[in-house]
Amino acid sequence: ADYTLTISSWAPPTHGINAKMWPKFVEMVEEATDGQVTAELKLGIAPPPAQMDLIMDGAADASIIFHGYQPGRFVTTKLIELPGFEGSAEAASVAYWRAYEKYLKEADEHRGVKVIALHTHGPAQLHTSNAVTSLDEVSGLKVRIPGGVGGDVGTALGATGIQVPAPKVYETLASKAADGVVMPFESRKGFKLTEVAQNVYEVPGGLYRGSFAFIMNEDTFADLPADLQQALEENVFGEPLSREIGKIWDEIDTIGREETEGTEGNAINTASAEDLEKFNAIAVDVRTKVIEEVNGAGIDAQAAYDMIVQEMAAQ
Amino acid sequence: MTAALIGFALVLVLVLLRLPIVFAMGLVGTLGFAYERGDSIFSERGLKAAMSMVGRQITDTAQDYGLSVIPLFILMGLFVNKGGLARELYAVSNAFLGHFKGGIAMATVAACGGFSAICGSSLATAATMSKVAMPEMRRYRYSDELSTASIAAGGTLGILIPPSVILVIYGLLTETSIGKLFVAGIIPGVLGILLYLFAVRWTVWRNPESGPAGEKHGWGERLSALRSVWAVLLLFFLVIGGLYGAFDFHPLNLTFSPTEAAGMGAMGAFLIALSRGGLSLSSTFEVLKETTYTAAALFSVVIGAQIFSNFINLAGLPEALIALVTAYDVEPFVVILMILGIYIILGCVFESLSMLLLTVPIFFPLVTSLGYDPIWFGIVVVVVTEISLITPPVGLNVFILKGVVGDVSTGTIFKGVTPFWIADIFRLALIVLIPWLVLVLPEHMGAMGH
Amino acid sequence: MQSLVTLARRISVFPTLLACVALFILMVMTFCDVILRSVFNAPIEAATELTRILMAILVFSVLPMISAGKGQIAVDLTDGVFSRLRLSRARDAVVYLISGIILFWPIQRVWVLAERARDYGDVTEYLAIPVFYVGWFIAASTAITAVAMIVTGLLYIFAPHTLSEHHQ
Ligand code: NA
Ligand code: NA
Repeated sequence: ADYTLTISSWAPPTHGINAKMWPKFVEMVEEATDGQVTAELKLGIAPPPAQMDLIMDGAADASIIFHGYQPGRFVTTKLIELPGFEGSAEAASVAYWRAYEKYLKEADEHRGVKVIALHTHGPAQLHTSNAVTSLDEVSGLKVRIPGGVGGDVGTALGATGIQVPAPKVYETLASKAADGVVMPFESRKGFKLTEVAQNVYEVPGGLYRGSFAFIMNEDTFADLPADLQQALEENVFGEPLSREIGKIWDEIDTIGREETEGTEGNAINTASAEDLEKFNAIAVDVRTKVIEEVNGAGIDAQAAYDMIVQEMAAQ
Repeated sequence: MTAALIGFALVLVLVLLRLPIVFAMGLVGTLGFAYERGDSIFSERGLKAAMSMVGRQITDTAQDYGLSVIPLFILMGLFVNKGGLARELYAVSNAFLGHFKGGIAMATVAACGGFSAICGSSLATAATMSKVAMPEMRRYRYSDELSTASIAAGGTLGILIPPSVILVIYGLLTETSIGKLFVAGIIPGVLGILLYLFAVRWTVWRNPESGPAGEKHGWGERLSALRSVWAVLLLFFLVIGGLYGAFDFHPLNLTFSPTEAAGMGAMGAFLIALSRGGLSLSSTFEVLKETTYTAAALFSVVIGAQIFSNFINLAGLPEALIALVTAYDVEPFVVILMILGIYIILGCVFESLSMLLLTVPIFFPLVTSLGYDPIWFGIVVVVVTEISLITPPVGLNVFILKGVVGDVSTGTIFKGVTPFWIADIFRLALIVLIPWLVLVLPEHMGAMGH
Repeated sequence: MQSLVTLARRISVFPTLLACVALFILMVMTFCDVILRSVFNAPIEAATELTRILMAILVFSVLPMISAGKGQIAVDLTDGVFSRLRLSRARDAVVYLISGIILFWPIQRVWVLAERARDYGDVTEYLAIPVFYVGWFIAASTAITAVAMIVTGLLYIFAPHTLSEHHQ
């Protein structure tokens, strides 16, 4: 290849992000450029919140960021994290990209880097060591939830937040420093939750969806010949990549669910109809608050929200 | 790969010119990173990229939650010392072992092991115990060889028996669970004590003059000595039991992360020292000050190592080594033996921390790619690091003894250390051949409460 | 000159005190967090982010002192050679000057990153403490470290007697 991009990534080596998503990215890039552009993965160069700085200054060419790790910087990205959307991670990721193009882009929260994909993981559920069978039992639990909408939902449910980065979740649960964690199904395998949090309390649509972006150094992109730039813009960056990555989130969610069903001592408890109703009321409160917050960033948040709902329903 | 090897050589040169490790690794790491990210070492683009990585590394390492165990465990060790616990530990082991041939040296080894359970550093263990045990061994006319060697060797246990600063830094560099590493160090640590006791017996068997028997203590004396060390035992069980999940009784679950264990240990040691009248305002300040100074120095070298290992990572050295091993189809076990050989050679000249910082970024990816357990490799690295502390010509523990005792030549100490060194090699072989010794405890962690 | 060195040593009590207070708070807070969580089921939610900030304070407050003194970890394998060749002083001078000077670039970058965090509005999760304060603090204390190292290097060259306390 004429151009080899360096990808910086932070998840565990075997996690879907590194085992499937970046390889998919490389595959798409190579295909679109007839092998003229490729990429190699480097792990552990810096912790998650440092990734955007690294990309901005060219310490690596591309990376993945989780918006919740940088409170204060990202507000509009909370919109896609809201509970209540119906549909797969693929549908959510495509809708996310379209809403970004039309509305969210204007807030310019990713200034300094080139956004090449936006995606969300599958619906996040509550994973605990002691079984939780009703919504009321969540109150008083010590739960690891990342920042952003997840935190708002946790507070509304009366849970006490515990702050640890995703790779430390296993240790935190094993040492009982937390009673549970809110993460998508894929983490049951990706972070070995089947061993330390045997029970899942499942709310259809999830308690929230985490928001991610793939980002790229602007100079790296500018240095590529025009025809390669065009090929990447048309066939990889934006909606195509967001869709493919969303698909992988769905795929690894399924693997996590199968792993749970196949592990002795693991159980999935689905929320009852009454609990779901109760949760929907909480979701509405959180939504109202977040929409107001996003409005503050100069975006027509309600319109963007409605667009996401429609786009997801249309797929 | 060439760039990485040149960088590695350059760090060695700078370090030998006495540039502090953080600056040697930081400088070479930065320029190397710039070279990898730009067209040359001094291209503007490469330097900007490297500086950004360095800037983030400085701020992120200083605020790494996992590293907070370091100041807290150092603090615990220093507070405990103010409470006079080293002396009491020694009195107990002496009451039980002193009347054997070589018994006072055996008591010294046992007390070193006990002190290691509350102190995270080998040098601090050796320095403390030399002040306590040396006068006693001289009183009983123990040979200088045996007395100094038993402290120098016994002191190395400080970094293997938890808590351990070296294991924390290994855990941090390799993203391995620090709690599991600590628990994994227990059996090899106890094994170390036992083998050192054999080394003492062997020395006395060869030369009975070197370690005459001390007085026999009655059971009354033994029990009263035991009563005074309850505090050490309590602290150790609080810290390690908490990490292991041993106090998980519903509804109370006193289980700790390493940072919390360190915080509980430090607070406990503070209260013990306070209750024994061992702390004034000014001595508390001294302890806190010494802790922050040590912590700042350790954080600095970690920052330097991270910068350097980012360069090594970008330059693809680990991948190149893995490719080499695969291409020549070398047996994994042979690779391990080669790595151990390199460690023992490096250990002749390098001080423990520098050795770890220089080698782990290179060997760790290779070893794990061969299917070896990261926890096991961490313990292996610490055991070879322990060996380096008593390997001539540069053995820091030996130098500490020389510094504290004064009128003994380092040659004498190194000579006395030989049986202990052989015991260490034997222990290393056991750990390499039977990984179970390391892995059995961590595998059962967190499972106790269920 | 001597009085300047003495003054610098006296002033250094204040950052040391700051570091000690940060460490003591860290210890007490960790203890309270565990007790509150285990016994009262009410952990201190902001404990993690406060731990991070306290660590930055305790490490960087004392960085100038350990760097200008001989507190940075170094390998003393060649000390004998240097002292036999009577080059110890020259080597120390060069080491301090180089170390101090090369800190200039990281300091600048830490400052730029802090300003960037300020521009983006980065705050901590629970207490919404602006992140750039920590960056400013680290940049400032590293700058003091650099100056202290350069001055120490110059003193090794021009007034080595003022540094006698370093070689106790
Ligand atoms: Na120890
Ligand atoms: Na050595």
